[in-house]
Amino acid sequence: MTAAARHARAGHRVAVAAAAGGAMVLLVLLLVPVLLLVARGGATGLRQLGSDAELASSLLLTSACATAATLLMVTLGTPLAWVLARSESRVAGGLSALLELPLLIPHPVAGIALLLAFGRASPAGSALAAAGLSIVGSPLGIGLAMLFVAGPLYLSAAREAISRVDRRYEQVARTLGDSPSRAAWRVTRPLAGRGLLAAAVVMWARAVSEFGAIVILTYNPKVASVLSYDRFTAYGLDAALPVAAVLVLLALVPMLVLRSLRALPLLDGVERS
Amino acid sequence: MIRLDGLGARAGSFHLRDVSVEIARGTWAIVLGAAGAGKTTLLETVAGVRAASAGRVMLRGEDVTRLSPERRGTAIVYQRGYLFPHLTVDENLHYGARDGAYVASLAARFGADVLRDRPVRSLSGGESQVVALVRALAPRGDILLLDEPFAALDPRGRTRVRRELQALQREQGLTVLQVTHDFAEAGTLGDLALLMDGGRLVQSGTPTELFRRPATSTAAEFLGAENIYAGTVRRDVQGDAEGPDALTFSAGPLTLAAIGRVAPGPAHAVIRGEDVALSRDAQAHASARNVFAASVVEVVVSGVVARVTLDVQGVPLVATVTTAAAHALALEAGATVFASIKATAIHLC
Repeated sequence: MTAAARHARAGHRVAVAAAAGGAMVLLVLLLVPVLLLVARGGATGLRQLGSDAELASSLLLTSACATAATLLMVTLGTPLAWVLARSESRVAGGLSALLELPLLIPHPVAGIALLLAFGRASPAGSALAAAGLSIVGSPLGIGLAMLFVAGPLYLSAAREAISRVDRRYEQVARTLGDSPSRAAWRVTRPLAGRGLLAAAVVMWARAVSEFGAIVILTYNPKVASVLSYDRFTAYGLDAALPVAAVLVLLALVPMLVLRSLRALPLLDGVERS
Repeated sequence: MIRLDGLGARAGSFHLRDVSVEIARGTWAIVLGAAGAGKTTLLETVAGVRAASAGRVMLRGEDVTRLSPERRGTAIVYQRGYLFPHLTVDENLHYGARDGAYVASLAARFGADVLRDRPVRSLSGGESQVVALVRALAPRGDILLLDEPFAALDPRGRTRVRRELQALQREQGLTVLQVTHDFAEAGTLGDLALLMDGGRLVQSGTPTELFRRPATSTAAEFLGAENIYAGTVRRDVQGDAEGPDALTFSAGPLTLAAIGRVAPGPAHAVIRGEDVALSRDAQAHASARNVFAASVVEVVVSGVVARVTLDVQGVPLVATVTTAAAHALALEAGATVFASIKATAIHLC
């Protein structure tokens, strides 16, 4: 072996060792806290579900609100994501950036902004109040906060998923007689299906874990994240652990569902075609 | 019938500009051009999947420039086929069709019937192209836009699909606009050839006209002319009102007698290799105006054709002859031969 080859091989070994070291550090930083949390509080939390009515109802409320917010976003956001993905105009590019703005706002600030826009003092809030609705202290406010902070994740990922589907599929469908919306429904939607599903799951998981915006709008009824915080401040770490651990397990459910769906042939790699 | 009036379109930073052409009903038009010439953009603008930025698209005498693709009655087949991978081959074939029996007959005619039960992803490139072609024909449109539709087919399949499509086109009077890089295909199928360059239509005419009389030296080079010389033209004898002039073209030591309608001054002379005749005897070319003694530089045999590179007074000249003729003349590097070119075979542009 030449000196240059030995040098290159040694360099490669150093690079591999550095990458492995970096991976270990990241694993410790990202996974260890979550694993510790589940290990210490998971079993207790699951046992408490049967006896702790407040915990059970907070999980139910969290799931219901996250599901409602996600369904609303999928319904309203998918056509918008399609328009943004297919448009070549600068306006669409600017609109995409604006719609991602909520991702950059600190979540309590997002809550304050929502309160300003839809609280009782605002015109929209007055209109809601006249209809017997309020975003303060209600599931409506929870859903709205979830939609605001997690919805842009869906929009962005759905736009990406649709962009990955070659627009010529749609164009061929158009020349075969489809209107734009029919081509999008018959061709683009199934081809982007896995990406859209993943986007919805990510949004749902993010919505379930939201705290900052919700706590500004609706402390009661308590979603799981607020309940966890409430028990931590009132009773300490041991009381908060079971709630926090169950919340983590709840967020894991959709991820596992998504993994199992990926194994289905229908969704496997369709976008690559 | 397809008529384009000053058609323009944009595809990213690429611009299709000022394309005007008329393609009669039942015509098979071939679009030629280098990569990036605007061929696919032209097809997409006619189909309506790309918006026109200028000019008009007239189909069957109707202005369809602002009409959506689904209302134009055109079908497009891309080189990749773009079969819908989430559907079966059978569902693809029926996608835009209204008459199942017609789809079945088309599938049988083009050999796609045996593919109906196959998953789309298991199809080869050529099989995908056949299915895509049948799918495009199934709605019974009368204008077919083809973007290198036979490129992935094996030679046998290509011959069969071309033959069937040509027969169908004649039976139904289909107007076809086809992009191809295959000059032989252009000569075989095309009634009309369009040459694109840099987003513009630089020449249109029958394939023979295009190949024999390219409008520019760039067009000649793209169309595979072996000999292109830059030089100057002098008019020797003025022709009558409709006839050509007698001209002399000079490029360095090379002086050629030619006829044509070209203004005196800088020009290019284009000579196709098959128009250069070779012999061992100067007297063999009694009627040819241009006879040169030349030495053979190289002989490259490719099947039944030999490409012979000559040196004529320091100027390279390429002749294509049959391999049998090359053997008969005992052509080899260093041999001396006489090359002759008829004045009528020299195209000045």
